[in-house]
Amino acid sequence: MKSLKKTAAMLAGLMAASTLMTAVPALADDVTIKVALWDYSNTDYYKTMIDGFKEANPGIDVEVVEFSAAEYSDTIVVKMAAQEDYDVIFMKGLPEMSALIAGGHLMALDDLAADYDFEPYGGTEKSLIVDEKLYGLPFRKDNNLIFYNKDLFDAAGVDYPQDGMTFDEYVELAEKMTSGEGSSKVYGAHVHTWGSNVYQYARFTEEYVYNDVSTWDSLIPFYEGILKLQEEGCIQDYGALKTGNIHYSGVFYNQQAAMMQIGTWYINMLLENVPNEDEGIDSFDWGVCSLPNDKGITTENVVGGITPVAIGSYSKHPDEAWKFLTYITGAEGAQVLAKTGIVPAWAGQEVLDIFDGFHDEHPNAPEGLSKYISGSNFIVEQPMDPNGKAIAAVTDDMHSAIMTGSESIEDALKEYKAKAVEAGAAGGDEE
Amino acid sequence: MASNRKQKRPGAKMHRKRTLTAYMFIAPNLIGYLVLTFVPIVLSFVYSTYEWNLGSTKIFVGLKNYIYMFTKDLDFGRVVWNTFYYTIGTVPICLILSLLLAILMNQKLKGKVFFRSVFFFPYVASLVAVAVVWMALFNPDKGPVNEFLRGIGISNPPRWAASAEWAMPTIIGLTIWKQAGYYMVVYLAALQGVPSELYEAAKMDGASAFQRFLHVTWPMVTPTTFFVTMMLIIGTFKSYDIMYVTTQGGPGTATKVLAYHIYRRAFESMEYGYASALSVFLFAIVLIITLIQFKGEKRLTSYL
Repeated sequence: MKSLKKTAAMLAGLMAASTLMTAVPALADDVTIKVALWDYSNTDYYKTMIDGFKEANPGIDVEVVEFSAAEYSDTIVVKMAAQEDYDVIFMKGLPEMSALIAGGHLMALDDLAADYDFEPYGGTEKSLIVDEKLYGLPFRKDNNLIFYNKDLFDAAGVDYPQDGMTFDEYVELAEKMTSGEGSSKVYGAHVHTWGSNVYQYARFTEEYVYNDVSTWDSLIPFYEGILKLQEEGCIQDYGALKTGNIHYSGVFYNQQAAMMQIGTWYINMLLENVPNEDEGIDSFDWGVCSLPNDKGITTENVVGGITPVAIGSYSKHPDEAWKFLTYITGAEGAQVLAKTGIVPAWAGQEVLDIFDGFHDEHPNAPEGLSKYISGSNFIVEQPMDPNGKAIAAVTDDMHSAIMTGSESIEDALKEYKAKAVEAGAAGGDEE
Repeated sequence: MASNRKQKRPGAKMHRKRTLTAYMFIAPNLIGYLVLTFVPIVLSFVYSTYEWNLGSTKIFVGLKNYIYMFTKDLDFGRVVWNTFYYTIGTVPICLILSLLLAILMNQKLKGKVFFRSVFFFPYVASLVAVAVVWMALFNPDKGPVNEFLRGIGISNPPRWAASAEWAMPTIIGLTIWKQAGYYMVVYLAALQGVPSELYEAAKMDGASAFQRFLHVTWPMVTPTTFFVTMMLIIGTFKSYDIMYVTTQGGPGTATKVLAYHIYRRAFESMEYGYASALSVFLFAIVLIITLIQFKGEKRLTSYL
């Protein structure tokens, strides 16, 4: 009994102490904003930015709520449906942003942004406008490029891929660059398992858009080309990649593929993972070029995704949240991002200089990278659509059906066009 | 019993107290069940009559979701077919295999405990890990299974999870591998409950090993068979996690089952009302099958 009393007294003491401790920040009249994001604990730049923000804005504290990366898109929609009071919401892309806007979970920012300078975003913010209201600021933008291994091209005596080459030339190049057998085989190209690794070519020339099935036939030549490469063994088989859960990054680091179409975030991964020549045997020089197409387009077009950040409808501190948004997507945040090789949506000269400077520090990176991230015509890979997530799910199914040869391109297009229309895409005959 | 009699018995108070104690014991679980399972089930019936994208507005649409399901949802027929294919492919094989394993493990066998653990292992291992291993074994180009098939002269072995025809059998194989160990243990318990006198008597009458199995073992484990069948059927109808970690319903829609379709419609397409209607449909199927089984069990095990 005595010991029980003792424990009770100790507990009471602890409780008193902890209330005292929590009371301290409250005295300073601080505002704490709640930020929802993923991969916080393994991404350094978030911490750098948040620390910088807190230093620049004494009196605003930031509470990060981290979710698992793989399910983030679904989780955040469910969380917001429960009207949780997140002030700042990071999003992976526009489909989930459309879903959040359709549910009324994001705050329109037009009043807060009345005097804001959008110039450095280069128009990427326009894709965040729905019904003439702005719902977020663009944080990152990533456009797809062809990355290539210069050492492999030099060894084969083949010219590097060029900006503005045709898709047929790209296919030929991949065939030419394929060599070897077994474990020492080098594939001419690597096509990862995402739909975007094929349809991005058609989106690059703005012939294709996912939410209008009347544009889908523009995919045919690209699927034909990629399937041809797959049959010839010039790229790794889709089914093997998918069932083996093989990540594209290792294939390129290990020099098993001469070319690969992937987003600009890969610049960051290459900078971090490909050692300089004097540091390791796996060193190689890499380069980039714009996507192949038959229209002679080079670096003026860029196609890819935008990572937006927004304010929740149930936010208790929208003004402070806006300050946070403008900090992380503005000049300060952008430079933190750019230094890691991630492309910020804010594209002032400071950012372009950082990208051009990578070659000095990492000699295996190409010179003049800024040209490839600053095209004047930013084409959003999946523009906002209230049915965006449903339609994107249909295109994913179609992609796996075509790439595994389960259906011919024509049959698959016919079947999945109907499904996409049913999911809300435009271009169906009934409309 | 106490309630039948109007007169107060001396034990009535005691009885009530005991009942109360019993309720107290089940309360934590019951409350959890009511709040976290039963209420959501009832709510899903309600939501199935709404159009709702998880936003702040819900529109009452009556039976529209159900009509849509049977007339307009282009995936629905395929998904129901896949679900039955998956269940019918999985349940009998898993049942027979686990019974055979149990009989084997019930013999005087060297290293019995080791083998039991080996067969039980996939059940306790994480599904993700087991699935990754399985998919690696059945990798169409470099997997050991296809290497072996090529080695014995089959030049064009199936492409397993990467082909529309073989994807479902591959998933079924994975499910059986993962589950058989658990049901083996269940059967093992049942086998050890069969009185040895019965076997002795059968032996005296000159019954062969197969006859002993057919006329002693099999009838004696029938209740377990019902239990296993029911758990397997309910399990396979509900399962979506296996598809989620392996094929994501692909290639195309080849392995998209009902539960996975519900998941996609709810959390990817944001059609919460329609997804609720689909889950009511799934609930109805499982309910009907379970009722049929209960009836059958009463009839077929009446001799026990």
